[in-house]
Amino acid sequence: MSTETAKEVKREVKLEIKNLEKTYDNGVQALKGVSQKVYKGEFLAVIGLSGSGKSTFLRCINRLNDPTAGEIWFEGEDIAFTKGSKVSMTRSKIAMIFQKFNLVGRHTVLSNVLMGSLARTSFIASMFGVFSSEEKEKAHKYLALVGLSEKAEIRADQLSGGQQQRVAIARALMQEPDVLLADEPVASLDPALCHTVMDYLKKINRDLGITVLCNLHHLDLVQDYSDRVLALKDGLKVFEGESSEIDDKWFKEIYGEEARRVH
Amino acid sequence: MNFNFKKYIFNITLNAYSLSVIYFLALYFAGATPDEETTTSGSFILNTFAIFFALGTAAEVLLGVLKIKTLGEQLFARPGVPIIQSNAFWKTQLYFILLLTLVASFLMTKVSIIDLIDESGFLGAMRLFKGIFSPNFDILPKAILAIIETIFIAFLATFIAVPFAFFLSFVGAKNIMKGPVAFSIYMALRTFLNIVRSVEPLIWAIIFSVWVGIGPFAGMLALMLHSIASLTKQYSEIVECIFDGPVEGIKATGASRLQTIRYGVVPQIVLPYISFTIYRWDINVRMATIIGLVGGGGIGTMLIQYQGQALWREVGCIVVVIAVVVWLLDTGSAYIREAIK
Repeated sequence: MSTETAKEVKREVKLEIKNLEKTYDNGVQALKGVSQKVYKGEFLAVIGLSGSGKSTFLRCINRLNDPTAGEIWFEGEDIAFTKGSKVSMTRSKIAMIFQKFNLVGRHTVLSNVLMGSLARTSFIASMFGVFSSEEKEKAHKYLALVGLSEKAEIRADQLSGGQQQRVAIARALMQEPDVLLADEPVASLDPALCHTVMDYLKKINRDLGITVLCNLHHLDLVQDYSDRVLALKDGLKVFEGESSEIDDKWFKEIYGEEARRVH
Repeated sequence: MNFNFKKYIFNITLNAYSLSVIYFLALYFAGATPDEETTTSGSFILNTFAIFFALGTAAEVLLGVLKIKTLGEQLFARPGVPIIQSNAFWKTQLYFILLLTLVASFLMTKVSIIDLIDESGFLGAMRLFKGIFSPNFDILPKAILAIIETIFIAFLATFIAVPFAFFLSFVGAKNIMKGPVAFSIYMALRTFLNIVRSVEPLIWAIIFSVWVGIGPFAGMLALMLHSIASLTKQYSEIVECIFDGPVEGIKATGASRLQTIRYGVVPQIVLPYISFTIYRWDINVRMATIIGLVGGGGIGTMLIQYQGQALWREVGCIVVVIAVVVWLLDTGSAYIREAIK
């Protein structure tokens, strides 16, 4: 216990979520009061069964979903119930990547990456699709970082799933965010491609110091890539700790008695 | 809120309809159809409506008490609400109503085989056909000029309608207009456009030919108005069918609402929009012909002039010109639409 307190004192808290609740219009209670501290620069994995609320948890943080109750503290401000342009500002600092990549298929890879700079691009310029050469340079830089320099002029929908997810990462980096939310980033990828995408996530976490919150299905990926784990079950937090602490006992606790680990 | 409004409204209307048709058919076959003076009086119509709606409601209550599954229940069944008793009454009801309507339609249309095979009438039609099938191509240059006018009327109407429809289509799309204020604007626009669209371009042409005088300008205005309403509806439906993924992806970067539309929605809709626009031009050329009949200019106006003088060989020439142009446009636009899919 004392070691944990010591760690909290030492590390800067990037995000603090307090008693977060979300009830959807159809009455489904996805989150029933989840509290969590996210430290600067860490790689936090969020695990749980489908329907455990982990996707809702991430989507409430960047306000793609509006929480029902609770607080989300980010940069000295509670962002849980902000309105209008404040929400966009939060989103520009807390980037997100998705299970289905969510790229604009008809646009080129470069154009997709440039879209990450929309929040700081003037309205008129963005309506005409004009981006400054500075932004273009940046976009090329981030494309190089995810190893896709030579694909810049290709239409996004012609890339493989793994490559599309890397474009999505470059788009997120283009926002120059403090935090990256990754909602099941490898769930629709070939298992062989999982590690490439996860490696890039780890790389930007380590090299650029971006705090990563990542929803994951696969326990092996959790242990390979994350520093800490938050486990949700039926909208409640059931575990928080180091990734290495997840043993078979906890696994059964989180996933239910019948679950078996896949290796 | 467990009251199934749609079901009750549907059932009561259907019951009132079937009972009234049965009643009037019975009167007809008994030779006791009320005379025209009675049937066209306002009180007769009102009373009939009131009586049959009361009877329809009574029938609905009765069917409900007997727990018989009606057509309305089959159509508007709520998920989760168990159907008390399943039986085949609704099928019988469906066939019976179809049959009733068919019989009533025959009587209303005054279908008569005798008129169809009447000799003098048939000869008259043959004379007309003979004229049309031996077209007088002397007026071909004039007809070509007229159809060029028609094509340009249609083009201008489409061209002006596109930007209006483009902007309105977002306001008319449910997935863009979220929130109470936005939704009421959406509803208002939809209602307004439905009204505009339900008035035939022919009627608009008559209105505009009084407003700006008979001629191509009136025809263009009529087509333009109709095109704005129709294109907005078609465009909106495209917007409503887009994938949410890219929209969400752009939204998550912190882009504003308009930026999200520009980058998340527009790339997904451009090609279907072009396709619908070409199709609309194609439709407008055909409609411009009809509108010309009431003074909207172009080939239609020319057609009605020759028809009025019973110059069937000239009418034949015009019909050939129209057919060729419509066929060319139809094929051409189909090819282009296929290519940009």
